Amino acid sequence: MKTQSFWEATTPQRPEFPPLEGNLDVDVAIIGGGITGITTALQLTDAGKSVAVLEARRVGGGTTGWSTGNLYVPTGAYYHKILDSRDKETMSSVAYARAAALDFIEHQTLQKQIDCHFARRPWYFFTEEENMVSTIEKEVDALQRAGMPIEFTENVPYLNQDGIRIAARMHGQARFHPLRYVLGLATDIAARGCQIYEHTTVFDLKEEKDHCLLKTQHGTVTCRQIVIATHIPIGIHTVQTVAAPHRSYVVAVRLRNDDYPDAYFWQNDTMHKAITTHSTDSMKLDMLMVAGNHHKTGQASHQEYQHYFNELEDYARKHFDVASVEYRWSAQHYRSGDGVPYIGLTHKDAKRTYIATGFYADGLIYGTVAGMLLSDMIVGKDNNWLKAFDATRGTNLATAKTFVKENVNVAAQYLKDTPFSADVKHLSEIAPGEGKTMEIDGEKVAVYRNPNNQLHACSAVCTHMKCIVHWNNAENTWDCPCHGSRFMIDGSVIEGPAIANLEQKQIDVSGEHLIEGEKHRSGQRDINNPIT
Amino acid sequence: MATLFIAIEFFALAALLGMYLLTFVLRGKETPKAIVFTHGPLAAVGIILLIVYILKGGPNPWDSLILFVLAALGGAYMLFRDLTGRPIPPLLAVGHGLLAVTGFVLLLVFAFGS
Repeated sequence: MKTQSFWEATTPQRPEFPPLEGNLDVDVAIIGGGITGITTALQLTDAGKSVAVLEARRVGGGTTGWSTGNLYVPTGAYYHKILDSRDKETMSSVAYARAAALDFIEHQTLQKQIDCHFARRPWYFFTEEENMVSTIEKEVDALQRAGMPIEFTENVPYLNQDGIRIAARMHGQARFHPLRYVLGLATDIAARGCQIYEHTTVFDLKEEKDHCLLKTQHGTVTCRQIVIATHIPIGIHTVQTVAAPHRSYVVAVRLRNDDYPDAYFWQNDTMHKAITTHSTDSMKLDMLMVAGNHHKTGQASHQEYQHYFNELEDYARKHFDVASVEYRWSAQHYRSGDGVPYIGLTHKDAKRTYIATGFYADGLIYGTVAGMLLSDMIVGKDNNWLKAFDATRGTNLATAKTFVKENVNVAAQYLKDTPFSADVKHLSEIAPGEGKTMEIDGEKVAVYRNPNNQLHACSAVCTHMKCIVHWNNAENTWDCPCHGSRFMIDGSVIEGPAIANLEQKQIDVSGEHLIEGEKHRSGQRDINNPIT
Repeated sequence: MATLFIAIEFFALAALLGMYLLTFVLRGKETPKAIVFTHGPLAAVGIILLIVYILKGGPNPWDSLILFVLAALGGAYMLFRDLTGRPIPPLLAVGHGLLAVTGFVLLLVFAFGS
């Protein structure tokens, strides 16, 4: 099964940015060209800073271009839980920051005339399960206490009302095409002097007393500030002990009757679903999407990842007159310990390095919030919301449970790495199109057999913190169950905190031995893993 | 003496796993993390039991404890290097093992020597 993001498929003209070749000296270097990095770059360029954006792959090609294009004040972490784990001031700050980010995006699309289908519309929040009614009541109460205009409603349009136990509505939320938006911003700032580089991987970063240094394959960047806008900080960072990686799934379908609801829905049942609609190439709605089925990255409860798509497709067919399934894709998100993202200086002693992570599945708005906050911090402008998002706030008693749970989970993943344990014992057990781990000559190897029967092998040991990667048969990737690093079949990094690729291996197929090349053996490979 | 004997058992198990891990380090292979994360806690429990025994008073194996603590510091440093992608110097691994084995032998002499 091939996965493709609707946003990638419906972005006709994608600007190309060159890779970095040579050395640079700028005020601010931003690692990552998603909505967080580009929004930060926009604000800093507007403030007169010299800025360079360094993107390892393509601008908007990470989670931004694989999201669901919805802009909303509510958050999947729930405001009433933020109230429990933090306080009312924090909860209100998060709500107002999210509302401001939504307005910011609207302003940018109008000011820069970005053709990204931005349109306001309501958000509906409902359940068909009696035991979830109290969650909705608590969340409506929390949003009202935070000053947001949410109300209970008897009517959820387009959906069968019979099973709905309770529903709420909030007007003024929005949809847009996230990839077109980010590329529109990138084109604008590039024309105004911001330097954007694609296919430029940062493999080392260091904060010195009066400057910072970033190393890429073909050049060094000297700067006064670094923003790590890579969804989760690259390298090793304490935030990775609480920001747990999750994957969620989306199917996009066409309807027979062309009756696409102009609203965004959260069905808050035990198995949460989000239903949304979007446009392919105009403001006319022509695609319905159902999203949900979160699970921890690399820890799917179903061996066949297809299950997650099938379940969403069944849901769509049950509730709508589906003509065809057009796209399927999945995306990664990171949860924070207390439901609030970590945005700001990377640790208490840091003066020049900033991070933004823990966005839950609400990253388009939170990425924009991060861009606004980080740029204010860097230019020295006061911002009342900084305290709520402070990345150095650490673990409090309310989040200690999450901290313990996540780290016990990581320890459990390490404890699965026992000698002689792997998915298969022999290459013959790997069917075409399948990936399996094998132990060969005492090393864990990730082996993929392509449909033409050719083998692709690399070390199965994640280059971030050495957990054993798992095969993701929906996307043909190797996913690390500990901190969410993901790799292609050739071992190259897709996303996550890992910087170095999985080491490619050559296998003597007849004897099932590793062919030792000139490269170091796995345990002798020195991987630069900066502690950020 | 029961505490001491239990400590010896924990150290013996830790030593067996440690020798197994050493074969990976000396061959330049990735260490199996399940063994790493069992070896360390076993040794740590051994050290705690030894401290409990010493705190009870009377003749005690201070020399073993010092060697075990030094070995544990080396082990923690090796774990840090391993998990952060830095190779483990074979000499460091061997030295860590020698410290622990020496401490273990002295502990056996203390427990059974007289």
